[in-house]
Amino acid sequence: MVLEATMICIDNSERMRNGDYSPSRFQAQADAVNLICGAKTQSNPENTVGVLIMAGKGVRVLVTPTSDLGKLLACMHGLEIGGEMDLAAGIQVAQLALKHRQNKKQQQRIIVFAGSPIKPDKKSLEMIGRKLKKNSVALDIVNFGEDDEGKTEKLEALLAAVNNNDSSHIVHVPAGPNALSDVLISTPIFTGDGEGGSGFAAAAAAAAAGGVSGFEFGVDPNLDPELALALRVSMEEERARQEAAAKKAAEEASKQEKGGEQQSSSQDATMTEHASGATSEADNKRNDLSDDDNALLQQALAMSMDEPASSHDVQDTEMSDAAADDPELALALQLSVQDSAKDSSSQADVSKLLADQSFVSSILASLPGVDPNDPSVKEVLASMQSQSETQQKQDEDRAPNEEKFGSS
Amino acid sequence: MSAVESATAIQRSQVDLLDFIDWSGVECLNQNSNHSIANALKQGYREDEGLNLESDADEQLLIYIPFTQVIKLHSIVIKGSEEEGPKTVKLFSNKEHMGFSNVNDFPSSDTAVLSPDNLKGKPTVLKYVKFQNVRSLTIFIEDNQSGSEITKVQKIALHGSTVETTDMKGLKKIEEH
Repeated sequence: MVLEATMICIDNSERMRNGDYSPSRFQAQADAVNLICGAKTQSNPENTVGVLIMAGKGVRVLVTPTSDLGKLLACMHGLEIGGEMDLAAGIQVAQLALKHRQNKKQQQRIIVFAGSPIKPDKKSLEMIGRKLKKNSVALDIVNFGEDDEGKTEKLEALLAAVNNNDSSHIVHVPAGPNALSDVLISTPIFTGDGEGGSGFAAAAAAAAAGGVSGFEFGVDPNLDPELALALRVSMEEERARQEAAAKKAAEEASKQEKGGEQQSSSQDATMTEHASGATSEADNKRNDLSDDDNALLQQALAMSMDEPASSHDVQDTEMSDAAADDPELALALQLSVQDSAKDSSSQADVSKLLADQSFVSSILASLPGVDPNDPSVKEVLASMQSQSETQQKQDEDRAPNEEKFGSS
Repeated sequence: MSAVESATAIQRSQVDLLDFIDWSGVECLNQNSNHSIANALKQGYREDEGLNLESDADEQLLIYIPFTQVIKLHSIVIKGSEEEGPKTVKLFSNKEHMGFSNVNDFPSSDTAVLSPDNLKGKPTVLKYVKFQNVRSLTIFIEDNQSGSEITKVQKIALHGSTVETTDMKGLKKIEEH
């Protein structure tokens, strides 16, 4: 997302007719240029890109730095191949074009496609490089074509002279079946000094190289930060859950008895300790639950309706999984667990809680993947409602009796 | 006599313009990234003798300092080592975004050739009339004392006064005399 003005120097000399890069060197170069223009303009809308040719009749600027992608793509049409590349003049003209950019806040960058042998010697290239560094211009070099007369060496020397804090890069692309653009996509020329690059580059990379993107989870943090954050958080949650599972497997035997009456500060820890009594069945249930929250909810509600005769361990397993999702629910469920361990009438309390429509629907709404308007959920709630009503009546009958006794 | 008095009075009202520098716009071309302009300008860093501003590719430096308000520049203090400290310093007022290529196209507002005394901290008084309305200052360090490849600057301090907020009490003192 760096604000940048870029000048792309294209080699359109006779050597570009060569077919060692498919379909021809020139065509491969043009594709790469198009991709770079797109990537730069997309990574920051205020970026500008310009294009110049280094061969032909002489160094000529085709497009002065602009953010108009259409203009950039159009300028590559009708380009003629001919002449010999003049690298030194090309870089100097590019530097001049950048100097006269409109927005002086933009960083300056030159991208050179060097597909022909290089005439200037190492010394003069180093001087050019130093001049670029002095004016804080970064340089990216794409070295393709044949390597003769120490071309690679010269270009490396040029890069060393320019390079300031790794802002400049060089890429050597050997001839072969891989398209020039594909090779470039994974390089820092595209990804922009390892910041994470643009969604454009990531998408192109995914399409071309088969889903290998530079980002975790395949989502560009620049493009969609919330999604990337959500994915990262859920990944960490899952990891934490798995760690807890590993821990409980280790502490299985000792915690089994104490688990029920322990009052620990962490509700989840309590839950998992409860679950430690269960066997791998608990794990399976855990896996199944993650598939269908609805089923879990129904099971949990059914469990809490049941007489306390049902095994605490299984109950607590269910609860522990649900608890992981919602602390509110966890609290309610923990209450229910503690109560049920002491007094069966507490079941009524739980059912009263659950009978409270608004409370339940708020919990349901906060559970991910559960839609309160879902018909099956509504059914369960309705059945619960009727059950709790009968229980409430019983309680009401009891209460006046107690009062009578209390008052008399 | 009044001329002399007014000269000293002007000096009395000079403040260090450090507070009026717009740090977001400060730029330095050809600086070594490990030894940046902050080492020479910022409070604390500039007092530290070990922290210098150093040039990178060659011995020239181009420093651009914008100000948050209009100031008058009276004098400048440039401290550096005896050999690698700056020698010829050209100052340009209100010229934005100069580069090394066009720095010699304009006549400078003032040029100072620093002596070893200056490098120890003696202020260089400038042509005050040329710096009456300064929004930004460009300092071009052309060469250094010994002609070495790297120029090292330990401290740059600017003294002057602001245009809007002239100290009225200072003026009154002149009149009393």
